[in-house]
Amino acid sequence: MRFSEFIGQEEARLGLILNAVDPRCGGLLLVGPKGSGKSTLARLFRGALPPMTPFVELPLNVTEDSLLGGIDLEKTLKSGRRTLAPGILSRAHGGVVLVDDINLLSLDLLALLMEPLERGSELIEREGITQVRESRFMVVANMNPEEGDLSPHFTDRFGLCAVMETLSGKDERLAVMRLAAAQPHFEAGPDPAVGEKVAAAVKLLPKVEVSAEILDFLSETAQKNLSPGHRGEIFLFHAARAYAALQGVAKVEKEHVDRVANLVFAHRRLFLQEEEETTMEQEPPEQNDNEDQEQQDKQEQQPSPEKDETGETEQSPKDGEMDADPSPRESSVQEEIMEVGTPFKVRRFSFRKDRRKRHATGRRTKTRVKGRGGRYVKSLLHSSDRDIALDATLRACAPYQKARGREEQMIIEKDDIRFRQRERKMGHLAIFVVDGSGSMGAQRRMVETKGAIQSLLMDCYQKRDKVAMIVFRKDRAELVLPPTASVEMAAKRLAVLPVGGKTPLAAGLMETWRLVRQVSLRAPDTRFLVVLITDGRANQAISEQSPQQEISRLVRLLNEEERCDFIVIDTENKGNFLRADLALALARQLEADYYTTDALKAEYLSELVQVRSEK
Amino acid sequence: MNFPFTAIVGQEELKTALIINVIDPGIGGLLVMGEKGTAKSTAVRALAELLPELQVVRECRFNCEPDGVLCSVCLERKRESALLPTGKKMRVVELPLGITEDRLIGTLDIEHAIKHGEKRFEAGLLADANRNFLYVDEVNLLEDHIIDLLLDSAAMGVNTVEREGISFSHPARFILVGTMNPEEGDLRPQLLDRFGLCVQVRGLHEKGERIEILKRKAAFDDNPASFAGRWQKEQDDLARRIVAARKRLSDVTLDDNALETIVAITTALRLDGHRPDIVIMKAARALAAYRELPAVGGAEIRDAAQIALTHRQKRLPFEEPGSERIKLQKVLEEVAA
Repeated sequence: MRFSEFIGQEEARLGLILNAVDPRCGGLLLVGPKGSGKSTLARLFRGALPPMTPFVELPLNVTEDSLLGGIDLEKTLKSGRRTLAPGILSRAHGGVVLVDDINLLSLDLLALLMEPLERGSELIEREGITQVRESRFMVVANMNPEEGDLSPHFTDRFGLCAVMETLSGKDERLAVMRLAAAQPHFEAGPDPAVGEKVAAAVKLLPKVEVSAEILDFLSETAQKNLSPGHRGEIFLFHAARAYAALQGVAKVEKEHVDRVANLVFAHRRLFLQEEEETTMEQEPPEQNDNEDQEQQDKQEQQPSPEKDETGETEQSPKDGEMDADPSPRESSVQEEIMEVGTPFKVRRFSFRKDRRKRHATGRRTKTRVKGRGGRYVKSLLHSSDRDIALDATLRACAPYQKARGREEQMIIEKDDIRFRQRERKMGHLAIFVVDGSGSMGAQRRMVETKGAIQSLLMDCYQKRDKVAMIVFRKDRAELVLPPTASVEMAAKRLAVLPVGGKTPLAAGLMETWRLVRQVSLRAPDTRFLVVLITDGRANQAISEQSPQQEISRLVRLLNEEERCDFIVIDTENKGNFLRADLALALARQLEADYYTTDALKAEYLSELVQVRSEK
Repeated sequence: MNFPFTAIVGQEELKTALIINVIDPGIGGLLVMGEKGTAKSTAVRALAELLPELQVVRECRFNCEPDGVLCSVCLERKRESALLPTGKKMRVVELPLGITEDRLIGTLDIEHAIKHGEKRFEAGLLADANRNFLYVDEVNLLEDHIIDLLLDSAAMGVNTVEREGISFSHPARFILVGTMNPEEGDLRPQLLDRFGLCVQVRGLHEKGERIEILKRKAAFDDNPASFAGRWQKEQDDLARRIVAARKRLSDVTLDDNALETIVAITTALRLDGHRPDIVIMKAARALAAYRELPAVGGAEIRDAAQIALTHRQKRLPFEEPGSERIKLQKVLEEVAA
């Protein structure tokens, strides 16, 4: 199969070709669902490059020494002097490193891969060898976001990013099948036609002019796209120039910039846009920006039912005990952002100790250390495990063999021994499931609630837990914060969390269940602490069933997750004589620990208490 | 000696799914869901035994096909002299649950390195599996990173090793057969998607069939050779049919009507990616070849969709298991009408 035979995905193909014309475009990240052709396209790219261009695959099984290089066993033995065997990065010099499922690669290795990109050289300090070597390569990688995220820190290093979707046009889909029918095995072949086009553009590239006006336009475009830092502009410059060259034009025009802008900003914007959206949501159009606190307060006290922007009017809540609050407050879809209440020191929550062996990376649960599981990523000089890395040991002893008088067998001494470091994915994840419905806006409940969450977040930070946040409001639940170790980011998201709309509690629980499943399939040893913050007044279903039926089914599902502990924090105003204690009922169903916001706080003066007894 | 494939009672869906994978390995393997003791591994082993020998390069560790994709060693040898072919029986390579990554993908031959001070690649299970069956019992219980590695090479048909100072790659095209009991845990959707087909097996409940199974099993245990002898004709017939279907495969016509039907089904179910389309197309084509038809018809597409789509549908967590089957049936009926 040739590059030009690939069907659809214009954006992704353009991204690759631009990189072929000018590697300074900074590589390409392909993001798309399973089966959208990411790996196929990335492999076809080889055929569009000049024939001798290095094209090295970085498989998931890679170890650190293979990535960076290490002692060349044979040569070192012969010469008695340390000789370096080149790693993947050295072999890829002047070419391409291809990474499938880059989001599954260990973070250590990812950092090592990305680090030489900007410096253009590799610093090697390994196994007694010091070397600086030139190292210029581009990374073409793909990922399926369903399988986990890639931190913005790494995505930002990619010059370009293309989002691939399943082709929806019938003709295109038929063409894909015809293509697949015609070839029994996938094999990437050279594509001389594309190669020639690229070669012509490469030739023209040095002659392509970029006027001052275009430079202005470049930085305007970057600003319009809210690109943080300067990387965006620089990549935009190279991409636009490469595109002009590809068009056979010796001068960059605005339309060239426009054409490639999306490739440059797709991944830089993704992250920001989310925040922007939330910020937009917080300000209803009829409110003006500098509205003061007083007015906000007044509005809360005199809520007026309003129509949703989507034109959907409030229906009376369906029957069932979980949704017994027909107060007009519920019907208000007005949204607002409340500030974060004063944080306080919280009672100490603990994860239940369990009998599964695991290696704990957090500081919350003490568990026994698991043996030799996990992926071998690198070798160490010292380790408490007696898990010997034979390959590294052999390399370590190689330089001394001559001196030790080796004839046939290698002579290994105690100091040569190296150990394996294995990567284990596990840890604790605290999932905050926050009710963002209109009822949370009442009596400024959200202010206090935010204070409580903030306090819990601080606790998580100290325990090195990961946190995630799900918000349910209006008609759906959203994972507003995917699992992260950055409590700071969580706090930022918390601050801009809006309230308003109905209460799709079931959606919130389902999203929670999904997240738990997703994380535990990837990292089966993860322990979860689900902190559900709500008044329990569910009034929005996600299927034909009643909200209550949905909830009890989901509760059953969640209870089956044995590594999941639950805490319900009830935000209902207990001073109100109409209190329904729905959250309490939910806590019972979930076998959760139950607190009111006040009870959480009440403890703060006392010493940290281990509230959850060992069960 | 294995129990003859043709003597297995019932489990038609499983048998057909295995056969069409042999006719076109591009279908991408099979996931078998179901209880223990339902002849899953027997069926795979029995089918491997029935098949004619593979043509492989003599003394090649990776069962390279003389005219096909070659490993680095064969490529080198080919430069010096012509490669000698030889026949080799197809095998079922089993992947045990506790396997370590170095045994799966291969590693540095430590013994050789210690004795001779030379680097050499010690092949792993994926090397054995090339052009054979790779059988993974309880694939959902495999360690996560092992599954990643397995599917990494299964997807592209090549095993690329970059570890412990070794850099090596060899063809790894195998028919992946996994089994799982869904009650013991899920597979990630992306991994499910990598299995071409999926069938459900159940123990047979009809009394007559159960008695027949008992009878045959007893007869086989008493005297395997004589039992096999009695089934030889069926075995030979099936082998011939499979070989003929393989030859005919590329001549089976797939008209636009057939392709459009496939797209109509996958669109109605709102499935991710193009694998569903391609798998149905390939499975339907292999079925047509096996049924000795000149073209893919509606029946082949329906049968193929049934085994290609159940594991690819999305189910809300509180929906009853099995609801995907019902939804699929509905869509198939609508498309047919």
